[in-house]
Amino acid sequence: MNGTRKLLIAVVLLHVLMMLILAAPATDIAVVVNKEVPVDNLTFAELRKILLGDRQFWTSNVRVTLLIRAPMAHERDVVLRDILEMSEAQFRQYWIGKVFRAESSTAPKTVYTNEMAGSLLNNIPGSMTFIESTQVPKGVKVLRIDGLLPGEKGYPLH
Amino acid sequence: MTACLIIALASSAFAQQQNTIDQTQLIQSLMMRIDQLEKRVAELETPKPQNAAAPANPAAATAEAMQMITQNSGAESHPALNMAGFSDFTFGASDQSGSKSSFSEGQFILHFSSNLSPKVSFMGELSLTARTDAGTGSPPAPGFNPEIERSIIRYEHNDYFKVSFGRYHTPINYWNTTFHHGQWLQTTVSRPEMVQFGGKFIPVHFVGALVEGAAAARGLNLNYNFGVGNGRGNVISRAGDAGDDNNAKAWLVNAFVRPDRLYGLQIGGSSYRDKINSGGHAYNEWITAAHIVLSKETPEILAEFANARHTQLDIASPAANSQAFYVQAGYRLPMLERTLKPYYRFEYIHVPKSDTLLQPISNLAGSVAGMRYDITNFAAFKFEFRNQRRGPGQPHINSGFIQTSFAF
Repeated sequence: MNGTRKLLIAVVLLHVLMMLILAAPATDIAVVVNKEVPVDNLTFAELRKILLGDRQFWTSNVRVTLLIRAPMAHERDVVLRDILEMSEAQFRQYWIGKVFRAESSTAPKTVYTNEMAGSLLNNIPGSMTFIESTQVPKGVKVLRIDGLLPGEKGYPLH
Repeated sequence: MTACLIIALASSAFAQQQNTIDQTQLIQSLMMRIDQLEKRVAELETPKPQNAAAPANPAAATAEAMQMITQNSGAESHPALNMAGFSDFTFGASDQSGSKSSFSEGQFILHFSSNLSPKVSFMGELSLTARTDAGTGSPPAPGFNPEIERSIIRYEHNDYFKVSFGRYHTPINYWNTTFHHGQWLQTTVSRPEMVQFGGKFIPVHFVGALVEGAAAARGLNLNYNFGVGNGRGNVISRAGDAGDDNNAKAWLVNAFVRPDRLYGLQIGGSSYRDKINSGGHAYNEWITAAHIVLSKETPEILAEFANARHTQLDIASPAANSQAFYVQAGYRLPMLERTLKPYYRFEYIHVPKSDTLLQPISNLAGSVAGMRYDITNFAAFKFEFRNQRRGPGQPHINSGFIQTSFAF
């Protein structure tokens, strides 16, 4: 009987743990740039233009370098779904076309972890990436979007 | 899956209630599972090691990353040459008398891009086109015709000002500067006839210099191109690659807006002027064009109009105006992971007999309807039906095409 009770407790604990994992609240996605980028705030439209390659310079001397997580990452899903309103296939086709039209000399660079993104962010002037706000590394700058930082009411990326 | 496992484990355990040894083992097993899940939670909540994750699909990175980057330093080496390609195969059949159904190999396109420095880049596009006269003549004609379609070196000062030199697809037409030679890039099997490669209605290629840029313009996002070049050659379907045949340079102005408030919308217009020597005669050419495009695929709408005005200079004659337009609509269906896209296009060309420069372009009124099916992110099948008539009193010609096009 004692064993059955332990078994039931274990099953309940397992369920609770699973629910905690699956029902974890969505974290805001921070727009993070190299600390030397001379911009503190972007409008949502400006953010979209950067992701579309329609804006390629921060200033004349600083080119935007986009670092985007590989497919399956939550950060990439948010970028494609909430900002670009594109599927994965549409995004790939868009950027192949963009480079093929000679409208951009490089496509966004793929990063496989947030740590890799953070490391490149510190090393590439003008670089920009998207990272869960709880995992933003030190030494980088988090941009405001339409005046809002991650965690603030009305922040658009989560 | 995990829930099923739990239920199965639990059911199994209850069925053996009397066996305390089994229960103990089961409890230990579940406790171990809890430990594993706790570790997994901890792993998710703490930063991962630098090289923990490998690309799930290495091929997936290829197209997106026409790039060269050193992972650790982020340094980009120069020159950074990247290459991509496009090709297609088509089966077509028609009820036009004398036509034969056949497979055809589309253009084999190689595309090169290279960053020479952070501000200077080069791009080139090379095509290999199957020849219908292969093996004939002396010496025998080769099977494929190579052509440098585009070759552009560009200096980018900032978003407002970029200057380039080279051989372009003339930026006076949306289709001509958006889809280029890769059939995979466009929704349909064929290009509209007004911008057909080898066609004459508009100058498809342009050799010269181009200044371009974009400004926010209070959310309108005004883009511009201004170009000066050789214009058409003596054979008017070709650009003056080896030089101009007169001292009058062709020039063009193109401008379009992409409003922030209407994501995906582009509206623009352009003007192109040149003096042409062809067939022993001299002409002034003035092309005006306009387009409106909704590039989101739900729906996708492309509409373009062009008027080509030609005035013969060595004979007193009135100017002749030829017109062409097309309207194309497509819609990316929500089912089957958005792989299906039905489309329809109507196109029209009218060249009066008085426009002696463009003769013998046939008039056209035709419809194209089809379905695009993206079998992967980089390959598609297209099924297309065409109904075309070359002029009043002419028969309607029906054709069907199946094409597979891809990027590699």
